[in-house]
Amino acid sequence: MVSVPEPLRLRVQLTKTGMARYLSHAEFSRALMFAARRSRLPLAYAGEHRARMKLSLSPPIPIGVTSECELVDFELTGYVSPVEAQRALDEAFSGGIQVVRCRLMGSGEKPVGKLIDTARYLVMIPAGAGSREDWMRAVEEFKDKESVEFERVQPRRTRVVDLRPGVHELEVNGEGTGEAEEGSTTLLMTLDDGTAGTIKPWEVIEVIAGFAGVPRDSWELALVHRNGLFVRRSDKLVSPMELGRRKPAGSRRGGRSY
Amino acid sequence: MNKIAPDDLWGRLEPLLLRVERPSRYLGGEWNAPRVDLAGTSVALAYPDVYELGTSNLGLAILQEVVNDIDGACAERVYSPWVDMEAEMRSVGVPLFSLETHRPVASFDIFGISIPHELTYTNILNLIDLAGLPLRAADRTDGPLVVGGGCGTANPEPLAEFFDLFALGEGEEAIGSLVELVRRGKEEGWSRDRMLAEASGLPGFYRPSDYEVVYNDDDTIREISPVADAHASVRKNVVDLDRWLYPKRPIVALCEAVHDRINVELFRGCTRGCRFCQAGMIYRPVRERSAGEIALMVDRLAESTGHDEVSLCSLSSTDYTRIDEVAERVAEICRERGMIMSLPSLRMDGMSAGLAARLDKGGRGGLTFAPEAATERLRHAINKPITEQEMADAILNAVRAGRRRVKLYFMIGLPTETDEDVAEISKLVFRLRDVVKKEGLPPPSFNVSVSTFVPKPHTPFQWSGQERMEDVGRKQDVLKSTLRARSVNLSWHDREMSAVEGLLSRGDRRLGGVIERAWSDGARFDSWSEQFDLERWQRALQAERLDPDFYLYRERGEHEVLPWDHLDFGLDKRFLFQEYERAASGEISNDCRDGSCLDCGVCPNIDTEVILKGNWG
Repeated sequence: MVSVPEPLRLRVQLTKTGMARYLSHAEFSRALMFAARRSRLPLAYAGEHRARMKLSLSPPIPIGVTSECELVDFELTGYVSPVEAQRALDEAFSGGIQVVRCRLMGSGEKPVGKLIDTARYLVMIPAGAGSREDWMRAVEEFKDKESVEFERVQPRRTRVVDLRPGVHELEVNGEGTGEAEEGSTTLLMTLDDGTAGTIKPWEVIEVIAGFAGVPRDSWELALVHRNGLFVRRSDKLVSPMELGRRKPAGSRRGGRSY
Repeated sequence: MNKIAPDDLWGRLEPLLLRVERPSRYLGGEWNAPRVDLAGTSVALAYPDVYELGTSNLGLAILQEVVNDIDGACAERVYSPWVDMEAEMRSVGVPLFSLETHRPVASFDIFGISIPHELTYTNILNLIDLAGLPLRAADRTDGPLVVGGGCGTANPEPLAEFFDLFALGEGEEAIGSLVELVRRGKEEGWSRDRMLAEASGLPGFYRPSDYEVVYNDDDTIREISPVADAHASVRKNVVDLDRWLYPKRPIVALCEAVHDRINVELFRGCTRGCRFCQAGMIYRPVRERSAGEIALMVDRLAESTGHDEVSLCSLSSTDYTRIDEVAERVAEICRERGMIMSLPSLRMDGMSAGLAARLDKGGRGGLTFAPEAATERLRHAINKPITEQEMADAILNAVRAGRRRVKLYFMIGLPTETDEDVAEISKLVFRLRDVVKKEGLPPPSFNVSVSTFVPKPHTPFQWSGQERMEDVGRKQDVLKSTLRARSVNLSWHDREMSAVEGLLSRGDRRLGGVIERAWSDGARFDSWSEQFDLERWQRALQAERLDPDFYLYRERGEHEVLPWDHLDFGLDKRFLFQEYERAASGEISNDCRDGSCLDCGVCPNIDTEVILKGNWG
């Protein structure tokens, strides 16, 4: 461990699959903190005594949704190579959480929690829950609308929100690719998530299932997978794992790339 | 990951998870969760409440590791499904399952259920029923042996008909001997009856059906007699802590558990002799763990879990022979690892300034003290003779060490208590606050928790009547109207829950029918205020034609046969009654740590002795 002039941040991309998909946001972040402590990374804490670990998490993912792109930033007090960090973290995780990759960056950069504004999901609708044509028609109907009202029920308040502006991409994917079950339909959707507000994938599914005439007990069995978290830069979606990579080293604060 | 068991229920269970609150309660697969050997003798260890309470139970965590360290044996965890999950499971016919391999509990060899307190009794019945087993032991012809353990075995009589066996006292050795017996029985093809008969002969195992209870016309017990060749009584087990360095690999709960920290036991047993305290009586004698082992365990457990808090636990941590030194050593380990140390169960007369300074400074959390009673007279009656000066010093030390919150535990309804004793609680809290102010220090906020005293078996107060519900209400009202200040927060126990607790605490076998009726009427999670309903219990008592006053409010006679008299926790009944009399006259009795023996009977009866190992050996 060598000291560096600028505080460091370790950005980690993780999977949340298997049993881990059933962890709530608080439980997932608890799993990350415990694993980070077990990995003995040089973690930074706020406050003196048993203080809070300094970390920033990507926007909450609904319970049950799997992911290959959860992100967490750990503030560090010393240098550790991304390869070494990945090895140490991977050993410290159990069931369903795995490190995809790690990246070091200066702590002057925005943390993931304040950065991400868009999420992309794949929705696998099982066979028997409406035909591919039903879903294609419903998707078109959704996209043709200027606004789509949805009653969002939350523990303390219920209100009507407009889903349409937060839904950027909505497609029925190519037929039965990969491991998809015969007769199943795959939707792809890119939604506001994070600093721009949050549209939940289930909200969109509920609305288009309504257009498609598919009953709740069928579409409820859909598998939802988050496969990308992004920062919107003009019309491009950039992954926080790539952000700033192609800029010349000198243009960033601290002037050092890792 | 564990191998998939042939009768794995996961496929049927998984679709239910998104319909319930907190699916993480039913997942398993946590950090340090064991890989189990499916072939061996299998033990399902159940806690009759939800996951976040169950994973905090140190006793079960220890037993699970002990079994998994035996070649050819495995232990898995089972918790009560919350009411939403129970409804889902029943609607699709998913039986009670284990957490490690999601196997049906009915497929295990041994079904161990911890009995933490009376308000879990309906959950215990629910566990047996959800497992698909007949509720009553007499109706079970196959399936696992249903074995109860934990502090509820001090008087398991109300549950007698539902259990095949109870294990009295500490379970580390007992569970090993039971596993070995079941292994042999399976190998030799014993019948279930033979298995149970052999098991009831193991030290500390009590088979309720080996004893017959005969009642007098006035509903008291005439005699409890062994049938066939059972012993006249069953004696509890005790272990030497330094031979059982558990837990070694505690499971890290998926969600925040109620005790979310590493637990290292300083010692078992307590000989202070507080007359209301059941733990202080039934876990005798004091057996300390050596200081070197404690430090070693703290370091190892921090490494293996990632926890950031360690609790040095016992029934009265400041009584550990060299508490200052061990706290200093552990505080050092905590500094190196960025952890904090907590010491629950602090006595106000043992809270030195040095000790206060070593605990987590300022940061999170306050300190908890239990004066129990507000007047010196009453504290003498219950044999907890702390002086007000000692209380003031403890609080000053805590505040000087940076604590901003102090929690104080009191009880109401104690034997000999008057309304003045209760009113004095408010005055005492304000006096303690003023002491801090007078020193020019910022007064802490006080959380005053007032519980209702419930007389417990195997204590000097086992003969005493419980305070009537309406009197408890009146006393609570006195406190509510007098303990009003911005810095004081008062909380109290539901007196209806205390009544059910009291009913079952000193109940006999006839209450089995009441528990079963309350359960079939829907009683679950009775210690959760949103689930508790007194009327279910009242209806059940009526249907069984039993008078609650008989169990709750009646003072027992010196020579009355008590329902738990055949269960031997080492204490001489003579000693307990003498203590009961001394309470009435306000005489205090000393701790035997310093060598003065009070003749409680435990050491000679159990052939053991006080072990004070608080050295670095």
